[in-house]
Amino acid sequence: MRLTICDFTKTFDRTTVIKDMNLVVEDGEMLALLGPSGCGKSTTLFAVAGIHRVDGGAILFGKRDVSHLPSQKRNVGVVFQNYALYPHMTVFDNIAFPLTIRREGKADIDRKVRAIAELAHIGDLLARRPSQLSGGQQQRVALARALVRQPDVLLLDEPLANLDARLRLEMRSEIRRIQMETGITSILVTHDQVEAMSMCDRIAIMDQGAIRQVATPSEMYRQPASRFVAGFLGNPPIVFLDGEVTGDGGFASRGVSLPLPGRLRHLEAGRPISLGIRPEHVGTSGGARVSGQVVFVEPQGRETLFDIELEGGAILRSIQPAGDDARVGDRVDWAVDSDRLLVFDRHGNAV
Amino acid sequence: MRRTLSLWPLALLLALASAPIAIMYLFLLVDTVTNAPPGSAIPNALTLAHWRFLVDPRVTGDVWRPTVTTLLFTASIVAIVLVVSSTGGYALSRLNVPFRRFLLAGVLVMHAFPLVTLIIGVFLVLQFVGLYNTLTGVILVKAALMLPFGIWIMKGFYDTVPWEIEMAGVQDGASRFTVWRRLVLPQVKPGLFALALFAAIDAWGEYMLPRILAPSSDFQVLSTYLNAVSDPDSTTYNFNLFKSVGLFYMLPILALYAIFRERLTNIFGGGTKG
Amino acid sequence: MPFQRYLLGLGFLSPALLVLAGLFLMPVALTGIIAFTNMSISTGVSGGAHVITGNLLTGLRDDGVEPAALDRLAETVFEVTPEALARARAAGVDPAFVADIEERLVGRRFTDGRAFERELKGLPHRPRAIRDLKVAADLFGASILNTRFADAAAARQAVVGVLPDAPEATVDRIVAASYTGWQWTTGNFARLLSSPDTLRLIVNTVFYVAATLSFTVFVGLFLAIGTFYLPPATAGVFSVLWLLPRLTPVVLYAVMWKWFTWEGGFVYTAAEALGLPAFNYMKGSVPTAWTIVILVNGFIGASFSMILFSSALKAIPIQQLWASEVDGASRWQQVRYIVLPQLRWPILFVVSYQTLSLLSSYQEIWLTTNGGPGRTTSVWALESFNTALNNYTGDLQYGLGAAMAVMLVVVGVTLSVIYLRLFRFDDLVGRPKIEF
Ligand SMILES: Nc1ncnc2c1ncn2[C@@H]1O[C@H](COP(=O)(O)OP(=O)(O)OP(=O)(O)O)[C@@H](O)[C@H]1O
Ligand SMILES: [Mg+2]
Repeated sequence: MRLTICDFTKTFDRTTVIKDMNLVVEDGEMLALLGPSGCGKSTTLFAVAGIHRVDGGAILFGKRDVSHLPSQKRNVGVVFQNYALYPHMTVFDNIAFPLTIRREGKADIDRKVRAIAELAHIGDLLARRPSQLSGGQQQRVALARALVRQPDVLLLDEPLANLDARLRLEMRSEIRRIQMETGITSILVTHDQVEAMSMCDRIAIMDQGAIRQVATPSEMYRQPASRFVAGFLGNPPIVFLDGEVTGDGGFASRGVSLPLPGRLRHLEAGRPISLGIRPEHVGTSGGARVSGQVVFVEPQGRETLFDIELEGGAILRSIQPAGDDARVGDRVDWAVDSDRLLVFDRHGNAV
Repeated sequence: MRRTLSLWPLALLLALASAPIAIMYLFLLVDTVTNAPPGSAIPNALTLAHWRFLVDPRVTGDVWRPTVTTLLFTASIVAIVLVVSSTGGYALSRLNVPFRRFLLAGVLVMHAFPLVTLIIGVFLVLQFVGLYNTLTGVILVKAALMLPFGIWIMKGFYDTVPWEIEMAGVQDGASRFTVWRRLVLPQVKPGLFALALFAAIDAWGEYMLPRILAPSSDFQVLSTYLNAVSDPDSTTYNFNLFKSVGLFYMLPILALYAIFRERLTNIFGGGTKG
Repeated sequence: MPFQRYLLGLGFLSPALLVLAGLFLMPVALTGIIAFTNMSISTGVSGGAHVITGNLLTGLRDDGVEPAALDRLAETVFEVTPEALARARAAGVDPAFVADIEERLVGRRFTDGRAFERELKGLPHRPRAIRDLKVAADLFGASILNTRFADAAAARQAVVGVLPDAPEATVDRIVAASYTGWQWTTGNFARLLSSPDTLRLIVNTVFYVAATLSFTVFVGLFLAIGTFYLPPATAGVFSVLWLLPRLTPVVLYAVMWKWFTWEGGFVYTAAEALGLPAFNYMKGSVPTAWTIVILVNGFIGASFSMILFSSALKAIPIQQLWASEVDGASRWQQVRYIVLPQLRWPILFVVSYQTLSLLSSYQEIWLTTNGGPGRTTSVWALESFNTALNNYTGDLQYGLGAAMAVMLVVVGVTLSVIYLRLFRFDDLVGRPKIEF
């Protein structure tokens, strides 16, 4: 079912947290809501779930306006960050709870619970209590409980935040598998970009209560709409250089000069811009060259991260396959892939 | 870090400070089964005669009727306090209520400032509604006096239940009432239990309200019974006897204390933390 | 819409609101109202009537009302009215005699009993015995004295009937003074302000609260810190022992103290054996009575503060203590510099909480010394209670007692509000997160 958020506004005690937000999640799609802490992700999610009231705008499930319906009438499944399992009930009773509330028949309940438990691979845990489960298992139970009554929309609020690194990897693909098998329209709230990119069809980046860009993961990485998006995506993060366009269609700043990407050579000279250079585009291949001194080396196993200080004092970051080439203090002369450079205007918008 | 040897003076001082209590409670036990010669506190004979009041109503009057009344009194108060505190505490902790701040502050003030001072007002209210001199009236008043504490304690317990549990319940389609009844209430069981214990002990020991608000009624609770027995002007005055009655009166409390010491200590101290 | 939002919350809250409104707010309001009346056991709590009594007349005479008028009010008037005749018949007076009276004397009025009796003696069917005649005569007599009039109008009518030409002001005064119900007055507060007992009571109360509080805090601290350093088994014995006073029903607790301190009790016997002065310590002298009052309440308070302090002590990270020992601190220095500073808030809490409960509670004093010897150990709350509800002479003065209670409530609520600020009440109030 298609989910539409239209001009949504939310105010707490006269401070507006979200203003006129618009977002569409297509039927069967899984969309990541990604953004820094406090940007309003949970608030949006709770508004969709019917826990918060909307102060303006509308929320539509398909063509149905649910803006003023309470949670109970929306048929939304939510998985909370801390799972919110009912501690005094067994796993079976936890999953069956939404069905017992609807007064479904005993046999029906039993069948549905077992089916969803199979799907979530927790068929053999049904008699336990939540306190006797590992984090990953609790996560699966929460997911099963959210899915058992076939919700129109599934909402996941940082579902992986409380898991350790290995389980997180496992549950990432599990959640995606289950979502694809059930085909339920979903929103995943996260501030982990890897999670967002690996699990979702599209990503919506949020900042200060507004959606900055909605795009597929690779598109968003390659063509960020703004300096904020470029800075938020990518690890290790992108480096920005502030300067201006030179006469020959290049870029100059504090002793650095680089050619602009081919499609941007026409920019008028003297225009202030900032250049975004991702670490993987500095190093072995590319049309332009920079020289400077290595000031920081961080081996990361398969790759090594370098910071180099250019003559004018600007710092560039480079990530390269591991080797034992450069050390701190070495002078280096590296290539920059100038066609992949990102260019932003004074207001931070992509040029 | 515990240098045991140097702790002897400390233990001695503590023992000295505790001596009055130790002596009083020791003799509360001893005097019920012994006789002492006149002019001495040291017993010289074992006897069960002081417990005859249990089977012989001629000694001080029937003790079982007041016992049953006290049980009834206590049970009703516990029931009222539990029901009203568990709903009231929930409303103040979790629901939309007009003047929340004011109500909460009011509950705290009422809790901090025990309004037995207002007994004159209570006395008149009972007279107006016709509950003066009735067991129902005393039960209601005692329960009301305990309510601010109960509501405050329960609010504290509700505050510790994660919001997400309730949100999940609402998502699952349950009404707020069902959420409270089936999801939240089970989480605060320890609180209910502690409150029940506290209320039971408090109600069991209540003396003043029955005495003032139902002075000439036909029921007696154990506290007023004990007071009559221990009146020095009465013909049956005898401290072995009133100690036996007193110990009999206190046995249920001692039993509860023995079983639930940890929880009782918590609610008698930490539980009242503002 | 906003109201609907509150519906569920109000529903959940309504039982509590109902009980608290009925048995907390109503009493507060009533106490406040009664404080401004002269209500007492003799005025009753519902409305009163008008009665002119002998006492009242004496009082009015002293206040300078014309004596002649007052004398007339005291007179009995004999009047042959249909009502009086009916009364006589109902009382079983010979019907023939009554018929005589009706026939010859109806409508006549006598202010002198003798004159009336003389008239009766002249009737044909008069009774033989002079006693019967007197009884019959009395049935026709009526006096305004000691008659109950339901309202002021009836009383006025009766007074004017007796004193047809008395000035309006005199009638007004008599009618007003004859009211037996309670009346509005600020006299209670005036009396409290002017009475020398008030100051005494305040001094007593302050002394009682301060002394008991100090006992509570210092003994509580000593117990908590002491048991903290003792091996768990020994410490356990003390904490069990010290919870007992709080658990014990108050009557039993008071009775145990009586046994402990009265004639023939434990201390008495021990003192006698040691050749020390032995008497009823609870009631026999002022210093011992005060000591006992403070101990009786202090033991209960100490058991409360000990629990609080102990749990605060348990929350101190043990590493801090180890560190201080490594630094060479003595046990005393450890207590002084590490332990006590961390008990600041619990101590403050105990002080504020106990101040309020000591100010307002009087059960323990009531059941032990009951303010004695004399009224030397009485405190404000106890005096208020005794004045209003628990007087030996049976002269219960609700109004005055309520006035005292009101003053206590004002002090208590003021203190509570200060404490709420102190303990950051605002942090305890959160908004509901589910908005539907
Ligand atoms: N009940 C509330 N009252 C007042 N302000 C609130 C309330 N809930 C959230 N806010 C504010 O709204 C903003 C958005 O909060 P929200 O919880 O949606 O952030 P988030 O994106 O989920 O952050 P995080 O990643 O830390 O969970 C924050 O600035 C927060 O302080
Ligand atoms: Mg959040």
